[in-house]
Amino acid sequence: MYSIGDPRRIDPWIGVLVALVGVPLSAGFLFMLAYSTGLVGLLAHGFTLAAWRRMLTDPHTWVAIGFSFWIGAASLGASLICAFAVHAVRAARPTAPTVPSLTPWHLPLAAPPLAAALLALDLFGNTGLVARIAHALGWLSRPQDFPSPIYARSGLGIILTQAALVTPFLVLLFERLARNERVAELADAAHTLGASGTQVLLRVRLPVLLHAAMPALSVYFLALSGAFEVPLLVGAQYPPMFSVSIWRSFARFDLSTRPVAFALASFYALLSAALLFALFAARRRRESRERTA
Amino acid sequence: MIRRVGSVLRWLVVWLPIGLLGLWSVTRRWPWPALLPTQWQLSAWSDVLGTAGLGPTVLRSVAISTTVALGASIAGFLTSRSAARHARREGLYVFLHLPFVISPVVLGVSLDYLFLRLGVAERAAGVILGQGIVAYAYAVILLSGFWNERIRAFADGAATLGATGLQVWTRVLWPIARPLLAVCLLQTFLISWFDYALVLLIGGGRVVTLTTALYQYFASGDVRLAAACALLLVAPPLLALALHRYPRSTTLIDGWPH
Repeated sequence: MYSIGDPRRIDPWIGVLVALVGVPLSAGFLFMLAYSTGLVGLLAHGFTLAAWRRMLTDPHTWVAIGFSFWIGAASLGASLICAFAVHAVRAARPTAPTVPSLTPWHLPLAAPPLAAALLALDLFGNTGLVARIAHALGWLSRPQDFPSPIYARSGLGIILTQAALVTPFLVLLFERLARNERVAELADAAHTLGASGTQVLLRVRLPVLLHAAMPALSVYFLALSGAFEVPLLVGAQYPPMFSVSIWRSFARFDLSTRPVAFALASFYALLSAALLFALFAARRRRESRERTA
Repeated sequence: MIRRVGSVLRWLVVWLPIGLLGLWSVTRRWPWPALLPTQWQLSAWSDVLGTAGLGPTVLRSVAISTTVALGASIAGFLTSRSAARHARREGLYVFLHLPFVISPVVLGVSLDYLFLRLGVAERAAGVILGQGIVAYAYAVILLSGFWNERIRAFADGAATLGATGLQVWTRVLWPIARPLLAVCLLQTFLISWFDYALVLLIGGGRVVTLTTALYQYFASGDVRLAAACALLLVAPPLLALALHRYPRSTTLIDGWPH
């Protein structure tokens, strides 16, 4: 009933999957390539790589892509630090508490990115609640004096908001992985062998959890780098994340910018897919090495 | 003492964001540097809940998300069995992660032309199809973990005892899968409910959901209505959290299924 299928025989449900996911994704990608190379579109005059040349030689392209990956890495890094801190605090308790029905770790799971961005503005904007509290405490006199992370060119507002959204997922992920990987037993063994509390945290818990979480973290990194709503609401005009940059090109009435926007979108799709496949291949190689060892 | 401070902090972290949105939604004037609004009003809520307001938008959002969730969960359950026993399942799972890593904006602009040709662009059907791609891929990844050795033993046991194929599905597999399917239904509902980029790009401004309405209110400077919209968006998942412990086996958490 569950025997491994013959790859040459097309399973009807795999056919449905290919038709509903594979075909639209491939057709969409081919369309973007065709539009960016002048093969289709209102301004198409035959095959040309002009839009690709413009996109690749424009420094803003590399700023947008570099900024997107910086935001992805920084958001994930901040979430990892918070989630591991929560894991460490929970691990230090003599008995693991059962999670009540509504905890701070769960709440951001219920928040769409747009609502989270709106909250970030209400809390950390120049006239947000934190600035008002700081004024009431006598720490500042004017809204401009508040060092707001919102619209900061460093992307701090985006990083904080995305980290707040992702941390609960990582807390739950670490909780599950710690059970699966028997981290508590490994930590006990390390304690018995004379390791200090810090050594157990940094040399046992952290590497085991990071190793087990790596596939999920890779997907998170790429998803955070391609986020749209949060940078749209709390990001600075410049530098833009590439998703916002593409959207701005499409929102313009000037059709001449579209081939370049499609070239950028195709380039990013290729880059993300290549990274995903590379991470997957690296994981397979590592697992096969571990099996051999 | 430390425990009490911890409890207060926890309570603040949970309720401050919701309270702040609630406060903004009933604010008339909140000048700097007042800590609380100086004038109040309920007009945002009468605007939001009135028939001329967001009522149709809420209904449209619920209809789109419910359709996406039901379609993706049912198709995902049936497909996940085939995916789990497929000879090249690892490659298949990597491929299924593509909709999540290529950014919703890239996905939206890439689908635009195809959907125009299919005649579903700027229509709710197009938004459902676009979100369905992501939700269906997600459902297959999530539900593939269900088809393990234990389930195989149950199904084979039932078949050996004379159950027909249909009975194996309805009397064995369905009851065991029900909790995971409920998780899948909620998660795929939220994928659609939280989506802004695909509604914006495929819906082209003609399909208005709660997320696009929230952005429109925000962009026009009406924070009261934007906050009311945000509360409406948060309400269903928050209700699910409050009524039931949130499902912990979320899939993007798991990464590739094993």
